[in-house]
Amino acid sequence: MVTLPHDDIYRLVREPIDMAAHIRLVRGPVDGAIVTFDGFVRNQSHNRVTLYLDYEAYESMALAKMQEIGLQIHEKYRIHRVAMVHRLGRLEIGETSVFIAVSAPHRAAAFDACRFAIDTLKRTVPIWKKEYFEDGAVWADGELPPAPAATPRAKPAS
Amino acid sequence: MTVLFFGRLKDLAGHAEDSAEFSDAATIEQLFALYAARYPELAKYRSSVVASRNQEFAAWDTPLRSGDEVAFLPPVSGG
Repeated sequence: MVTLPHDDIYRLVREPIDMAAHIRLVRGPVDGAIVTFDGFVRNQSHNRVTLYLDYEAYESMALAKMQEIGLQIHEKYRIHRVAMVHRLGRLEIGETSVFIAVSAPHRAAAFDACRFAIDTLKRTVPIWKKEYFEDGAVWADGELPPAPAATPRAKPAS
Repeated sequence: MTVLFFGRLKDLAGHAEDSAEFSDAATIEQLFALYAARYPELAKYRSSVVASRNQEFAAWDTPLRSGDEVAFLPPVSGG
């Protein structure tokens, strides 16, 4: 079965994520399973009490990278539809920052694709969070996305 | 060219967006050097910055063209 990416949902939002609505959108009659990932704000980080988080993104690139992940999981796994939503702005403890739902005829593909999607999102999508504590704020440690190596044919900088 | 800074790099540069002339920098590396000279704190983070050109991750020696959108991105922490 060929699934067209336009069935999928990739969104950056500034309001609470309606998880149930996104699950309904990926659920089709060909499916037998939906696996979801709900990432939400924890009340501590490195033994400090977190008050809230503030997320920002390079929005156009982040959305493009999220769609790229979607294309990758469609190629790698027998899945049906994908919903991938990231929230931006200020988030309080317990609020969902990222939600992914993957539907598939069989559960194994949905589990694998959902895991691959969240792991790849955290490594490659240009989104950043600032953690606010009682005694200050810091940008969270993150992962440096893999960038292309220098091109051997390029002339050295003059 | 449009130059964008995100996360802690935005704080260090003091702004999120700037424009640079193509004649100022022929590659992404030269463009970063231009800002590192202007904002010395930025230079310290060179090894933990990845650059993009027109919304694709790009090597440091990538040549620039006028009209390009270049962004300097610190380690990502979404999710």
